[in-house]
Amino acid sequence: MGVLENKARARTFYKYLSKVYDRINPFIWDEEMRDEAIEMLDIQPSDHVLDVGCGTGFATEALLTKTDNVYGLDQSAHQLEKAYAKFGKRGPVRFHRGDAERLPFADDSFDVVWSSGSIEYWPNPVDALEELRRITKPGGQVLVVGPDYPNNTVFQKMADAIMLFYDEEEADRMFTQAGYQNFEHHIQQSRPGSPRAITTVAQVPE
Amino acid sequence: MQEELMDILCCPVDKHELELEVDDREDDEILTGRLVCTECGEAYPIEDGIPNLLPPDMRDEAPA
Repeated sequence: MGVLENKARARTFYKYLSKVYDRINPFIWDEEMRDEAIEMLDIQPSDHVLDVGCGTGFATEALLTKTDNVYGLDQSAHQLEKAYAKFGKRGPVRFHRGDAERLPFADDSFDVVWSSGSIEYWPNPVDALEELRRITKPGGQVLVVGPDYPNNTVFQKMADAIMLFYDEEEADRMFTQAGYQNFEHHIQQSRPGSPRAITTVAQVPE
Repeated sequence: MQEELMDILCCPVDKHELELEVDDREDDEILTGRLVCTECGEAYPIEDGIPNLLPPDMRDEAPA
């Protein structure tokens, strides 16, 4: 059990992390990996897309190249400040503060729901995955990027201490439990030896 | 926030519809106000155009 499975601690952690976030982020998740993940989705210009745990807006920026209807949600005001600096509060992205496990959106609100680098902070990932499914239209797509469980012992220790990493088997279990039937995992890596990201693309059942 | 967002927003706790109470607006943009759940009565603040829809137990920071 990681300490970040406590939401209050996760918020405090993020407050400090946000200061360096976009600088350390490319270590495991860079623009190339992000753009590769976006191409796994079928986003039409008329689609409404939500970025859950949008943070500083790293993925949000790329989603905007696919459609003008982009929404962002994050629990952390400090992370969002960085996103506001990029896009403005009343710019092209509609921002919200909210919790991934208790989303403030009605059923079937979005065509595509994206979440990268957020699942490892969710205390109950299955609850959040169920929420993503609920707010996505039947036949729509949900994409979740999380860090894969690392092979390197040092990273494993760090992972166990502060974050909840998972492998494909664990991802299968979580997505199935959250009510998805069709999904696939892609392992993405910045360069050999660097920690890997596990990207799951799931189709919401009709 | 844009008023048209009301079509998709709901109470994060019980998923019921929200009612918009506006204090300050600029055309279609709601700058300050509240979103009040029609079921549980919880009020979610809109601060500088951003709706804060964190469940009450996570809304730790003072509204600014």
